[in-house]
Amino acid sequence: MNSTEKKIIRIKCKKCGLFQDQDHRRCLKCKNDTFEKIEANGNCTLLTYTILNAPPSEFRDKQSYGIGVVEFENGIKTLGQIEIRENIKIGMKLKPVYEKICENLDGIEIYDYVFKIIE
Amino acid sequence: MNKVAIIGVGHTKFGRLKDKGLMDLLCDASLEAINNSNMNDKEFDSVYVGSMCPGEFNHITGVASALVDRISLIPAAADHIENGPASGGSAIKAGFQAIASGMNSLVLVVGGEKMTHISTPGFVTSVIATVTHHKAERPHGVSLPSFAGLLTRTYLQKYNAKLDWLSDIAIKNHKNGAFNPYAHFQRTIEDFMESAIQKGRGNWNNIHEYLNDDNSNPVIADPLRLFHVCPISDGAVALVLCNAEIAKEYCEDPILISGIGQATDTHIVYEREDITVLNALRRSSNQAYKMAKKTPEDMDVAELHDAFEILEAIESEDIGFFKKGEGARAAHEGLTEIGGKIPINPSGGLKARGHPLGATGVAQVAELVWQLRGEAGKRQVPDANTGITCNFGGFGNNIISILVERM
Repeated sequence: MNSTEKKIIRIKCKKCGLFQDQDHRRCLKCKNDTFEKIEANGNCTLLTYTILNAPPSEFRDKQSYGIGVVEFENGIKTLGQIEIRENIKIGMKLKPVYEKICENLDGIEIYDYVFKIIE
Repeated sequence: MNKVAIIGVGHTKFGRLKDKGLMDLLCDASLEAINNSNMNDKEFDSVYVGSMCPGEFNHITGVASALVDRISLIPAAADHIENGPASGGSAIKAGFQAIASGMNSLVLVVGGEKMTHISTPGFVTSVIATVTHHKAERPHGVSLPSFAGLLTRTYLQKYNAKLDWLSDIAIKNHKNGAFNPYAHFQRTIEDFMESAIQKGRGNWNNIHEYLNDDNSNPVIADPLRLFHVCPISDGAVALVLCNAEIAKEYCEDPILISGIGQATDTHIVYEREDITVLNALRRSSNQAYKMAKKTPEDMDVAELHDAFEILEAIESEDIGFFKKGEGARAAHEGLTEIGGKIPINPSGGLKARGHPLGATGVAQVAELVWQLRGEAGKRQVPDANTGITCNFGGFGNNIISILVERM
């Protein structure tokens, strides 16, 4: 939960090549249990998004924020908060920026990636 | 495998029930179902209680053990079943398996939740969001409505559908719910609009204008608005299940559970190849159709899990009623109304009947029992002999389908 930037890492199955979340102990597709780590790089494309106006209690320091699914150039997908601007559209290019996303109910600052529109 | 019949139904009112606690609701539904089944003096083998968050919302654990004590079913076996918003469907499946296997012959299944007393803003949303992936999703501030928003945006763009068509689903479900004496909202959306006009809150020329107004229908998870989202509710529903061989000794009109299926999908929603496809529903409904030797065309009525109106649209596709991408349009064209090609949610669905999480899967089957018995009053689907449900757990990663028919 500290402000030291972490990397967006996924694992790639050594047998079938499927990208997946690091929490998978066996490959979602082929049950193989050996993987290599892959780091998301570069910018990403917005696949879909919403603007949430009724956040869960621990995120209520903001009235509203965007949530989107993005795909990086090397095929890694992730979900995260997105910067809300006029004319936001599916297919837009975004860049990940590591910053404070909320102050939780215990007053602790939570940091993560926010995906921002490339000017 | 033994055949399993439903011989009794009990259903509390759904809504904001200030004077009832969780145990009151579970007891009320259970005793009504036992009474309805004429099994008042019988010993039950097992009791299965579906409830998502009794520990978090009510500070009660061991709800099934607590229930058998209060309604004098000791020494029946008692289990609490938790499968998120599909806890009710899972409880029915557990009861079905107990009888089908020959292990039990008389079972009580109950689903219930008590949620509306919680006053902390966002707390209920937060507790329900614990069903999402705790590393990949939840730390970003997701809620189930936010997933419904993502899904709606993708669906509308991919299939060239209109948000107004999802509003048509809400309009239909409120119209049906107006005739359901157990529903949380027994009012049409037209009625909400008229009442707002009379109170001087605005003036709208038609229902879609009312539903597209940020004041009368605020955006919850863009593009979804308040009337596209189900409420939180209190309520409980119970069913008495028995071996179908003996059902007619106790009940004039038993209903057969002839098919049941359950399947899962990825926990992380974005790891699905296409988020508009509910693979878990395709598999679970196929299992149910296969077990019952039926097809989607054989269905006279369906109860689907419209926690968000986009879900009714895509479920109506993945359960086999409409082609992919055509569910919202079919609802807009009236094909899912009572009297249409396949009436969906004559009860009012989660939108109007309400959604006391663990109660919902049981309420869906209760509605089908009434429809098949011809006891649904003004919301009766004509000549209903066969029906199917979709009870949606997590965000589509655990789905149960139950197929029922007249014996």
